[in-house]
Amino acid sequence: MFSIIFTWLIVAWGALSCIYMLRCAWSRFPKRDVDVDDVIPFLYPVDISLAESLLDPATEFEFRWKLGPPQFREAQRKRMRLFLELTRRMAHNSKVLVEYADSEKNRQDPRRAGLASTLQEKAIEVRLYSLLTGIKLRFWLLLRTDIWNAKPVLAHLRTAGEIDGLQTYSALKVAAAAAFMQLPPDELDSLTRNL
Amino acid sequence: MIFLTYIPLGLLALLLWTLVRKSAYKAVPCFFAYTAFAVAADVTRFLVHNHRHPYYAAYWFTEAGYDLLGILVMYEVLRTVLGNLTRAWWARLIFPAVLVAGVGISLARADVVPSRLGGLLFYIVVGEIAVRFVQVFVFAGLVTLVPLLGLRWRQYPFGVATGFGLYATVMLLTTTKFSDFGTRFKFLWGVTSLVAYSLAVLIWIWFFSVPQKAETPSSELSAPSPGDLKQYKDALRRMR
Repeated sequence: MFSIIFTWLIVAWGALSCIYMLRCAWSRFPKRDVDVDDVIPFLYPVDISLAESLLDPATEFEFRWKLGPPQFREAQRKRMRLFLELTRRMAHNSKVLVEYADSEKNRQDPRRAGLASTLQEKAIEVRLYSLLTGIKLRFWLLLRTDIWNAKPVLAHLRTAGEIDGLQTYSALKVAAAAAFMQLPPDELDSLTRNL
Repeated sequence: MIFLTYIPLGLLALLLWTLVRKSAYKAVPCFFAYTAFAVAADVTRFLVHNHRHPYYAAYWFTEAGYDLLGILVMYEVLRTVLGNLTRAWWARLIFPAVLVAGVGISLARADVVPSRLGGLLFYIVVGEIAVRFVQVFVFAGLVTLVPLLGLRWRQYPFGVATGFGLYATVMLLTTTKFSDFGTRFKFLWGVTSLVAYSLAVLIWIWFFSVPQKAETPSSELSAPSPGDLKQYKDALRRMR
């Protein structure tokens, strides 16, 4: 009985995927040319120093030391929500950059296309990190794991899927600076501020 | 009618030619082997279709070959896609997990819907259904992953997975209904599988005909000018 239910579920999943692909093919895999104007205003600033402090084991230890268990749990949940917001922003920014890199890769200039490739690679790594970390954080927040006395340690979120999140995001910023080298200094400034 | 059955053979020959022309055997060697095998298998079946025993032997032998190569192609697709995304240790466990799930569901299904076949032929059919499950898992998994990570579809492994995914979904659907309707459904089953496989081959031909996203090898990059370097250094300094 279960095998038949599983079979139907898998067939339904496959059929939905086929419908999605058909929709993509119908709209010719929608792809717009994204230029610099579609990047900078769409980025959300990510405070890396804040992320560093949230993932710092010493800070967490200090909180644990200074606060009582209920206060620490509440503070930890706040810190989790804050880090979730940061990963959301990282994911959003990397999506914007993936789209930009994708249109840059079509250019004839091999150097710009190469820089766009590196940018896209880093952006996809950041998205993967954000996805894995987001799942973990939502799971912790949803199940209130602290109730079960399994205290989630934020410092463990520094790496997910063997990707060091903050290091990769910094590498993404470097790759973005290289890819946007042709921008006038004030626009490059806005990019570095917004990323 | 017999010639209609061999429409996929013509399409597969066209696909093989496309793969050779685009040198795609370097990028997807297992899929190239699968296509070459499919052409050889269909030619063999066509040559012996008037001889009962040789056709029977050729049919089941080639079905076993399709099972094996189908699995290898799915391994190749997952290895290529995941290899580009993550170096995590658990990424290596995804394919074995998918394979175990596919074989498990296929065996459980065989228990519920008993087959008239016995011995080796039973295992070939179980293997075939397991491969279909694996193909749907991989295809549907990629369809879920692509928008999440912002990847682009115009890549050979995605094309391979799409063709197999469509065919496997239709085949699982018709095979499940076949067990409900019995032999009355045989003609429709044959036509559906023919159309679905031809569509899958057309998808592969389309994916391999259009150029893949250009990857620029770094060795071909020209060095940035001193002015560019200065601008780049300034930007990095402002970031810190």
